Amino acid sequence: MIQTALQIAISLSIIGFLYQLFSFTRKNKTFENRKWLANGLNIIPFFLNTFLQTKLFSAGKIRWMIHFLVASGFIYLVLIHALDDVTSFYFFQYYQPTVDPFQFLRNLAGGFVLAGCLGFLYRRVTLFKVLYKRKIHLKGLVSILLILLLILSGFLLEAVKIISEPVFMEMVEEYSNLEDDTDLEDLKIYWEKHYNVVFDDTLIITKEKLALGKDLNEEYCIACHSPVKSAFMSNSISRALKKTSVWLNRYRADNFVYYIHYFLSLLILVTLPFSRLFHIFLIPFASLEKNFKKELLSLKKGYINTATLYACTNCGFCSDVCSVLPNYLVTKNIHTLPHSKIEAFKQLMHHSPFEPAALFLLQSGNEDCTCCHKCTDICPSGIDLQNLWVVLEQKLALKGFQNNYTYIDSKSLKEWTGLAPEKEKIPSSRKVTTNLADNVDSFENCIQCTICSNVCPIVEYDLVGNDFTPHQVLNLLRLGNKHLAAGTCMVWNCLTCFSCQENCPQGIRVADIMLELRNNGNLRADAMKIENFTNKKAD
Amino acid sequence: MKIQKNTDCDVLVIGAGLTGMIAAARASCLGLNTIQTGNSSALFFASGLLDLLGVYPMDSGKIIKDPYSGIKKLQSDQPEHPYSKISQKQIRDSIQFLTNFLNSAGLNYHLSGPGNKQILTSVGTFKPTYAVPETFSNGCDLQRQEKNLLIVDFKGLRGFSAKQAASGLQKRKGKTYTLSIDLPGNKNGLNPVHLAKSFESKEFIQELSDKILHFSSKTQIVGLPALCGIHNSFDIVKTLEKKIGMAVFEIPGMPPSIPGLRLKNAFEKKLSNLNATFLSNAKVAFQSMKGDHFILQAVNDNLKTRIKARCVILASGRFPGGGLFAKRNMVLETVFNLSVFQPDTRSQWHQLDFFDSKGHGINQSGLETDDTFRPLDKKGKPVFENLYAAGSILAHNDWARLKSGAGVSCVSAYTAVNSFYKKIKIMSN
Repeated sequence: MIQTALQIAISLSIIGFLYQLFSFTRKNKTFENRKWLANGLNIIPFFLNTFLQTKLFSAGKIRWMIHFLVASGFIYLVLIHALDDVTSFYFFQYYQPTVDPFQFLRNLAGGFVLAGCLGFLYRRVTLFKVLYKRKIHLKGLVSILLILLLILSGFLLEAVKIISEPVFMEMVEEYSNLEDDTDLEDLKIYWEKHYNVVFDDTLIITKEKLALGKDLNEEYCIACHSPVKSAFMSNSISRALKKTSVWLNRYRADNFVYYIHYFLSLLILVTLPFSRLFHIFLIPFASLEKNFKKELLSLKKGYINTATLYACTNCGFCSDVCSVLPNYLVTKNIHTLPHSKIEAFKQLMHHSPFEPAALFLLQSGNEDCTCCHKCTDICPSGIDLQNLWVVLEQKLALKGFQNNYTYIDSKSLKEWTGLAPEKEKIPSSRKVTTNLADNVDSFENCIQCTICSNVCPIVEYDLVGNDFTPHQVLNLLRLGNKHLAAGTCMVWNCLTCFSCQENCPQGIRVADIMLELRNNGNLRADAMKIENFTNKKAD
Repeated sequence: MKIQKNTDCDVLVIGAGLTGMIAAARASCLGLNTIQTGNSSALFFASGLLDLLGVYPMDSGKIIKDPYSGIKKLQSDQPEHPYSKISQKQIRDSIQFLTNFLNSAGLNYHLSGPGNKQILTSVGTFKPTYAVPETFSNGCDLQRQEKNLLIVDFKGLRGFSAKQAASGLQKRKGKTYTLSIDLPGNKNGLNPVHLAKSFESKEFIQELSDKILHFSSKTQIVGLPALCGIHNSFDIVKTLEKKIGMAVFEIPGMPPSIPGLRLKNAFEKKLSNLNATFLSNAKVAFQSMKGDHFILQAVNDNLKTRIKARCVILASGRFPGGGLFAKRNMVLETVFNLSVFQPDTRSQWHQLDFFDSKGHGINQSGLETDDTFRPLDKKGKPVFENLYAAGSILAHNDWARLKSGAGVSCVSAYTAVNSFYKKIKIMSN
């Protein structure tokens, strides 16, 4: 039965693995001109990050420590303990799980994983408020709990086996040719004293019997059983269980715990491709390719391997170092932060329905990115985040959510003024703080002397790309055409160097007006994009 | 939240036009601690020409050849005119001071001969003026010259047309040609300041001289819009002359005026060397008197400055400058709320005809002063001991018609600062 279960679990796991690979490939097909490893191989950092988690180390020492405990312990247990039939017995001639150093090492590794898991949970609890504020949710918790249960059940199993009389009797029957009852009693006495087995019948301990038991032990047992002291974790548990041992032995608790332990490991195996644990494979994969360099940002490669996105462990380091975190604190738009954008991107790739308001928030959050490259630099999973934001921008543009400037620029001025939605719904709580463009007093003194246009660096250096000049924008306001003014290139190209305002002989706040018009244009374009999107959906 | 700052000075000059600049220049040259406030762009509207007196009497519209004899006549006819408060020598001194000051800042003025020169303007009219920058000098008195003339304009440059400028030269003996130069990469029109900046590149001068030579070698003199560089216009004109082998001169035109910008740069450069402080775009309000000192507050975008000054020179100009403010029925002075001379009723402000030779009543309005340019109250006494007014804010002074703007500015600012200086000299002795 156990064999069948194992086979089923392995095949399920492989199917899951293949399914994930297939879905990644399918998602990658949505990129045109896709080219894997276009940035080049990243050999040395690949090994360093895979085996030593160097990026995690530079991001946070304590978290690296925790991760290292879990990772090293777990890998040891999988290789030496779980797969011993094909590894340990093959490599080590005298291997037995109960022989030192393997007995000790198994306990040590288990202890590592246990400590690491508890560290993870402790961090989640203590940092709860900070993480909650940044909406970094508790993800990967199931995996951690599964591993924790697995390790605890392993220790329990070993402890129950130590105290188990039935197991002792089975072993005696199988590996010795003891026929004499007194010999058996001598061995029992020795094992009760040194191996913590708990026997049902009371045994009288004498020095002679112990010595005889020791001889028998050396003859039959010691080749496979090192003293139980070295199993320091399980041994202490077994001492604690001594009082319940009669009951445990009677119902063969060892078998019961064995099944729990075994099926927990099968469960982990089956869920591996779909749980957070999949990062074991995906992080090396993501680290394999060189990251998009800051210097190459202008090239806009527009391709990212979606498999690497699933290497994200939602650790939140990226959001901690994000340059525009202050923007999030003001706008409360969670999509300003990288960890949230990456989740949204995955959702986009799934073609799951997205509310236009959410798309809009994603676009405006992504637009805040200053391309400072800090998230890519810190990402312990080695995900090419900076590139991802560029790709995200293009994906959103294809969905009708390009940035407002290109949106307005793609319309003629006439179109732009005619495009006003019936009700201007503004999805965010952004407010226009100044009210200059609607207030005649602020620009009626303009005498169209053109000094603002003459001192404007945009007008000076970009005679072709610009359309209106500052004094013409002000004239549009004088003509009562605020919306037309908000659509001119000048308003969007303005550097806010304030030369115009400084030099205006009439004291008009020209640069402030430009900025306000740009804000107005933003709000209008947002409203229009959402309306277009809802209309398209209705069609 | 505005930052509060306190500062003391000897002389506070309110206004950054020509008058304010001259007052600040004179005060700092005399070693007085000077603060100047005003709008940084005021001189964008100055033509750069120094008029003294071009037309007199006003209603005759007659252009006079010798400004000083005109002034003599004016002094006897109109005792209330700013010129009538001072002697001819003081006028000569003040003009001398101004040209010397600008000379030392690298802006040379052409003063040859005692009389007025006739300068061609961008609209094809002739304007009498007393002194012109060196770059204009070849264009003086064009009608009498027999040389063949070429006037150049640039396609897309607003406010200057060679054909329009040449329209005033039909009676000339020599021939007049026009050339319109199309600069590459200019679809949306040229702006004067930007074009003037491109004059400062050698490639541009080369291209321009090639185009002029390609057009004609028959001409001896070339007129360009007044855009030949901002910082070293004289050298640029000389280089161009050498390249094309012809005399070159500039023609003044519409604002933003590059000669005005050159004036502004010259003043600013020199004033900062003399440690005068400039509070740009500050709005000044008079608060109180503390003993002999004026307490004023200058409010900038992010700065509130409390200024304690021994003397204030009010050079805030008239209506465009903001020194005077016209309500529906009366004209007010904006900083000290001084009494303003003005026509009795609103109906007397303007004539029916815009070009009426008598001039508009409103242009006579302004501050009446004593002989040292201290504003007077209604009883005819100086309002404050050390408050002076200068420039176009002065009453009985239709400078646009008399072509006397720069002269009145210069004379009043110079005299006002001098008389304050004399006063404190006597006190300290």
